[in-house]
Amino acid sequence: MAKFDVNGEQNVEVSIKIPSEKSLNEQLEIMELYTKRHMECSNQSNAYREVECLKVLYPRMFRSIETQDKIAGRIDFLPIGFGCVTSLGGVGHYCVFNKLKSFQASLEYEEDKRRVDVLYDYWLENDLKTLYCNEVLTDTTIGRFIDVEFPLIATARLSGMMLDYPKLLEKGIGGLRKDIEEVLKHNPSNNFYIGALGCLDIFVDSAEHLRMIAIGQMEYCNEQRRQELVIIVKGLEKIKSDKPETFHEAIQIVWLFALLAGVINYGRLDDYLGPYMARDIDSGLITEEDAYDYLLRLWTMIENRRTTVNGRIIVGGRGRKHPEEADRFLHIAMKVAKNCRYVEPQFTLRFDKETSDQIWDEALDALGAGATYPTLYNDDVNIPAVSYGMRVDEMTAQQYVPFGCTEFVIQGQSTGTPNVCINLLKLLNIFMNEGIDPMDGKNKANGCVIKPLASYNTFEEFYEGYKEFLNYYLDLSVFAQYHSYEVMNRHVSFLFSSILTDDCILRGKALLDGGVRYLGGTNETYGNINTSDSLWVIKHLVFDTKKYTLVELNQALLANFEGYEQVRKECLNCDKYGNDLDTADGMANDLYEFVAKGVRDRGIKIGMQYFLIVISNNQLNTEWGNRTAASPDGRLSGMYMNPANNPQGGADKNGPTALLNSIAKFDAKYHAGSVQNIKFTPKMFNENRFTIKQLFRTYFERGGCHLMVTVIDRGVLEDAMKYPEKYPNLIVRVSGFSAVFVNLSTNVQQELLSRMLYD
Amino acid sequence: MSKTLAIMEIERFAIHDGPGIRTTVFLQGCPLHCKWCANPESQKIGTKLLYLSNKCNGCGDCYRACVYKAITFEKDRPVFHRDKCVQCRKCEEACLQNAIHFSGEIMEVDEIVDIILKDKDYYQNSGGGVTVSGGEAFVQFEGFLALLQKCKENNLHTAVETCGQYDVRKIKEAMPLLDLFLFDLKHANAQQLYEYTGGNLEQILENIQYIASIDPNKIILRVPVLPGFNFDEQSINDIFNLAVEFGITNIHLLPYHTLGMSKYEQLGLNYDYAIKNKKSILKEELTPYQKMGEEKGLKIQIGG
Repeated sequence: MAKFDVNGEQNVEVSIKIPSEKSLNEQLEIMELYTKRHMECSNQSNAYREVECLKVLYPRMFRSIETQDKIAGRIDFLPIGFGCVTSLGGVGHYCVFNKLKSFQASLEYEEDKRRVDVLYDYWLENDLKTLYCNEVLTDTTIGRFIDVEFPLIATARLSGMMLDYPKLLEKGIGGLRKDIEEVLKHNPSNNFYIGALGCLDIFVDSAEHLRMIAIGQMEYCNEQRRQELVIIVKGLEKIKSDKPETFHEAIQIVWLFALLAGVINYGRLDDYLGPYMARDIDSGLITEEDAYDYLLRLWTMIENRRTTVNGRIIVGGRGRKHPEEADRFLHIAMKVAKNCRYVEPQFTLRFDKETSDQIWDEALDALGAGATYPTLYNDDVNIPAVSYGMRVDEMTAQQYVPFGCTEFVIQGQSTGTPNVCINLLKLLNIFMNEGIDPMDGKNKANGCVIKPLASYNTFEEFYEGYKEFLNYYLDLSVFAQYHSYEVMNRHVSFLFSSILTDDCILRGKALLDGGVRYLGGTNETYGNINTSDSLWVIKHLVFDTKKYTLVELNQALLANFEGYEQVRKECLNCDKYGNDLDTADGMANDLYEFVAKGVRDRGIKIGMQYFLIVISNNQLNTEWGNRTAASPDGRLSGMYMNPANNPQGGADKNGPTALLNSIAKFDAKYHAGSVQNIKFTPKMFNENRFTIKQLFRTYFERGGCHLMVTVIDRGVLEDAMKYPEKYPNLIVRVSGFSAVFVNLSTNVQQELLSRMLYD
Repeated sequence: MSKTLAIMEIERFAIHDGPGIRTTVFLQGCPLHCKWCANPESQKIGTKLLYLSNKCNGCGDCYRACVYKAITFEKDRPVFHRDKCVQCRKCEEACLQNAIHFSGEIMEVDEIVDIILKDKDYYQNSGGGVTVSGGEAFVQFEGFLALLQKCKENNLHTAVETCGQYDVRKIKEAMPLLDLFLFDLKHANAQQLYEYTGGNLEQILENIQYIASIDPNKIILRVPVLPGFNFDEQSINDIFNLAVEFGITNIHLLPYHTLGMSKYEQLGLNYDYAIKNKKSILKEELTPYQKMGEEKGLKIQIGG
């Protein structure tokens, strides 16, 4: 078993979480009760244990309803509990050890602290992620999330579930219950069905609990708020069994279900909520202003969950059942996104050639105002790409939705969690040093035979050698991904998510137990462009022009170019990706296809529907770069790596058309999401709006799959680094997420600064 | 082998040199020598050494690299003897601070067209195209025509930024290959113009008149507004009157800026004009002229 630090942070957490409403004592009690229940049920079925444990948490973990809330439902998370993802609580029956430790430190009495020690020790043996790590991590090759000393990191989590909310709305809790009871008749001992019904009871209890809170709050409020609470109370009563009829009820049922499921991405809201909104407006029940207000408050509640990299809301695009009503929703949502400027929800626009000028103009207005949203997804490219990549028909592919930093899933039908990340550049360094990572001197090749640098006579030989070494790691990555499903399935059912994921009810199986229609997964690749630029440098300087030998070049790298400044200058002067040059772009594409196809083929072979790379990136390009040695592209040791699919900051020198042309060269069908940033000054973006619109449209016609846009003045980021207090609300797009700039670490801020700003 | 051109720079996503998204090809060589010229490195054909003193750390690598003794080292800074420089570019290679840069290269027309065509669909979607600027494009006339010819074969919109100092027969020959002239008219007084630019007003007006006689909508008059030269009501009014006379309606007033100043330093030249006129003209300062022109029925745009 590999040694790893269970106390390490498990996730990017830029947004600061809202503290729990419960007293420390009560928190401790709940965690003890949860632990006790978990222990007691250890011989029961997964589903039974899950329900029993969830009953400890819900409805108890609900917070009070805040005065600005138009729908009810806020939840606290404790260091011990149940969840799907690392950004809210943890995965399965979890313990977040570093948070438990800090909880312990905040306790006053020694005897209470000892009670925490007991919990700590129990969960060391039972925390799902720890169990996974024990089985999968090694001392030199596969590290834990996020241990940047390793070239490959792996975790167990169920990120990015996008549930079948349309089904929830269409059937209501009562309808779902009836369906499950019906199939249970034919299969009365099916634990999954019994557990699923238990979850519906928890839903009802939670609705009732919130209803009582709302009634309690009516006494102490003004008349206007009382009216709002009356609607909340009625709505909660209604959704306990009936399907929703009003816009209010529709939002309420979706929201409450998502909370209980621990799901943090919300799918195609325009299509499934649009009809309710349109009907209520047309019947006069609410005004457009009310609808705006509802969305604004929903946005606020999503923001308050603070998942940092999730909270996806998707609007627009092909395959919507109610395009007209959906567009009405979209127009209002676009205004909300423009005006409120939160970092979450990640407001996502899907579009195609048919998308109206009005929608484009609204999108550009929001971006021009500095909202960083919507982030733009091109259906003309993505639908056929998803169809190929995930091996589904085009109708199914139309229901693709990006979650998290961009990973695609099929709404209500697939899993796509990225449980492995791979650092291609670190692997190049390791390969160039016969298995030794120059960053820490450790051998990370695990016995792979790597020839000395002097033995390569052609670039092709060298490149083949590197690819062979990559293959070893790609094998490890698919094993780590697939095994995460096996381990999770051994311990949990993810019942709430399973209820609204095809075909769990039909098959009578939890989603990782064979229930989900498309078992997919994703592999986040990092340092892609640094690696391909490095390969180009090696080809050009070593093999084509013979300026240096590989050994000489590597000497310069090992010295971090100190005393080899001339070598670095020549490395930097070689062609770089992002300038629309066939040389460097060709190399980038070749490496991309090798890695992407390699991952995809392995996924199919192991029996998954799909396993695809994502070039998504949160801020790991910076964190991993800090622990990656100097590279042949001229990058210094410890420097951030290129963000997502963009060039290394400042390497693109031929303007935005050249940058976009480079980006559009990759064939989207081999990945499940690849993101690209572009940054403009407000003057450039807003005074040349038609030009910018045509710039984007042309890029998308050329095959661009995605774009995210930051509009910011020159000098503002520099100033915000010096005087953070002046910029509490300055939002920037990092890569797969937006953040308040001053909350980011200095390293990440510097990476953002390095990116080209078009002026 | 296709014809060649001496170029200063190719700028992609140029959005101030004509409509839409464009690629602007800056050619070298200009018959005028305007005192305020913002691109002094484009005035003569040939490779120029630019020295960026703010990047220099005084290491002396350039001086040691120069075998032609074109660089001496005085007070920890290089001094360039440009008469001795043979443009071997060894100093540029040696400089780790990137403080030395050579501007200007010879490119084949086909090479230039290859770069232009990379953004063809952006031009088409935005109503853009290609602009040939300078220097003065008509100086390298044969190559310029060949470039335009290729652009037209690819159905690109073509524009030229020109000062008009050349024989009218050249205009006649180029006219069918050009969709738009961004035509500099700096002064309506022959003496003033000659004194500040070396320009021949008669010839310039003959060229403008010729274009306007065929299609006045193919021409936009561009007036750089310069302190001490034409930044006064009378001068601008005279230019407007000429436009009216020729039936030209589109005028761009380009406010003077001092951005070219650093280039003079880098080239080791004196920028007397900027020393005398340190302040850029603000857009707002030209609003009265805009009104003046509009009263004459002209369409006036401030800025390019």
